Amino acid sequence: MSNPLATAEAKPILAAQNLTKHYGDVVALDGVSFEVHDGITGILGENGAGKSTAIKIFLGLVPPTSGSAIALGQNAHESVTVRSELGYMPEHDCLPSSVAAAEFMCHMAEVSGLPPRQARTRAADTLRHVGLFEERYRSMGGYSTGMKQRVKLAQALVHDPTFVFLDEPTAGLDPAGREEMLELIRKTHREFGISILLSSHLMADVERTCDRILVLQSGRLGQSGEVTHFTKETETVFIEVDANREALMASLESRGIKVAFDGHGLYIEGPDESVYDQIRDALVEAEAPLRRMAPRRRALAELFQRDGEDLERELKW
Amino acid sequence: MVTAVPREGTVFDIGYQRYTGVREGRNRARLSVVKDGVRTSLGLGRGAWAKVLPWLFIVVLVMIAFIWALVIGAAERMGGPGTAAEIGIPSHSDYYGVASIIIFVFAAVVAPELLCPDRRDGVISLYLVRPLTSLDYVFARWIAFFLVMVAVAWLPQFIMLIGLCMGDAAPVQYLRQHWLDIPRFLAAGVAMSAYTTTLGLLTAAFTTRRAYASVFLVGLFAITTPFTTGMAMEIGGTAGRWISMFNLSNIPVHVNDVIFGQPSSVTRAAPAAEFSAWVLVGWYLLWIIVPAGILSLRYRRLTP
Repeated sequence: MSNPLATAEAKPILAAQNLTKHYGDVVALDGVSFEVHDGITGILGENGAGKSTAIKIFLGLVPPTSGSAIALGQNAHESVTVRSELGYMPEHDCLPSSVAAAEFMCHMAEVSGLPPRQARTRAADTLRHVGLFEERYRSMGGYSTGMKQRVKLAQALVHDPTFVFLDEPTAGLDPAGREEMLELIRKTHREFGISILLSSHLMADVERTCDRILVLQSGRLGQSGEVTHFTKETETVFIEVDANREALMASLESRGIKVAFDGHGLYIEGPDESVYDQIRDALVEAEAPLRRMAPRRRALAELFQRDGEDLERELKW
Repeated sequence: MVTAVPREGTVFDIGYQRYTGVREGRNRARLSVVKDGVRTSLGLGRGAWAKVLPWLFIVVLVMIAFIWALVIGAAERMGGPGTAAEIGIPSHSDYYGVASIIIFVFAAVVAPELLCPDRRDGVISLYLVRPLTSLDYVFARWIAFFLVMVAVAWLPQFIMLIGLCMGDAAPVQYLRQHWLDIPRFLAAGVAMSAYTTTLGLLTAAFTTRRAYASVFLVGLFAITTPFTTGMAMEIGGTAGRWISMFNLSNIPVHVNDVIFGQPSSVTRAAPAAEFSAWVLVGWYLLWIIVPAGILSLRYRRLTP
């Protein structure tokens, strides 16, 4: 399979080769091959697509049935030393409720191989990075979901890894918390150069955060490539009018322009330069007061609606 | 004289930065798990409730030794040297036998705290993605609890030793006469600790609920003692002696007896005490090695 993520010069950070994992009769991964390079890569797929299994294999938590999963040039299942360069934020709960965040962070830094004094400094710095410095001496049992997610991210970063696996980092967060978490993830890569593999079933999260995506469908690699590559190809024009929307649609269709309505505005797919003149004429003809007209990239969700109905049903905004 | 203060400001970047310091790898990871295990066992760095149970047991064990030392000291002062032994007041060799039930309950209550919450809360997956194998993890936990158990076993013995020395009219002479008790109670304490640590952690490895592990282990000790004692008496002979060997509370106390060279007040009447020292020590080692093997297998197959 050709791999759009691979670049000829750079050595991949992660490389999966015919990666297969069976849990009894259940096939979690079925001969998947891909490479992940520097940057933020999203791994997208419905529940049970094999995202978490792939991450666990790269981290050495579970062995593959066949194939290989190489992280930073080593197999984490065979060599534990490479794990000090990897960070992992699991999807599930993983925080002891009776311990303060500062103490837990310090312990996790030490378990990653940092000496005690440096571990204490790193714990404080990392908690400041995720915005929990003031709360660091409180037991984590009393934290909100958003705070717990931040601690989970902090423990993945506390030892300053080269690469971090984030498994559903926005799970359980409200819209504001979700946006803050995504910004934190972007900042982690942008300012500190830590590369990230972000697993999610939320397309919007991946679209807003990642440079590249891998799509897993029922344990197989569906698509992969640059996020902009997927969204660029499908430019549309969004038009919002204050009145006479039906008349405008009729006028556009009479000019041979395909138009769609999503409840808020009209979408015209793949326009060339001449279409703008026709839109202007249709607006005049329909006497529709224009509120907004702007080019719009297609969302990933819309792309996958066309590519697989099953996937569309499972993946959510 | 006023010293000139430099007018330049200094910017301290206290935010997140890349780490360029030393990474000590797997040994630091193991040591950290040991350190955390010791702190968890004693409730250090946790809330007040986490400290109550372990320290309650430690205080009780110390109080037993303290009172014991006072009684022996008083008897020796009033009745003269050797009075305590003549009237059968127990000493170092008897301590582990008498205190064993409290030591077992301590292990049953505290040991699960080292393994159960890590699996219940999912923390184990964070350990296993670091430079640490599952065997490193469980062995480090074993070492941590073993160290705590050794301290819990030795502390009362040392208090009793100090009490006995101070209670004697000639403390230095007492120490000269009884110095062999020191390596003996140290060795017996290690034997007691290894046994209780292994069984305590093995039980904790099969449940995520601390209470279940504690109740099971206490129940096991509480049931096997009267059951095996009654059966051994009833059946008698070699079979009775072997049944008596399954009295789980007595297994490390028999080793204590071998070390001190005399049966303690607890095991004196046990039919198993008639076996040779080799059999008693071998049986004890079996009860360490087999549970330790099961424990390591259990964690080797662990998939978070």
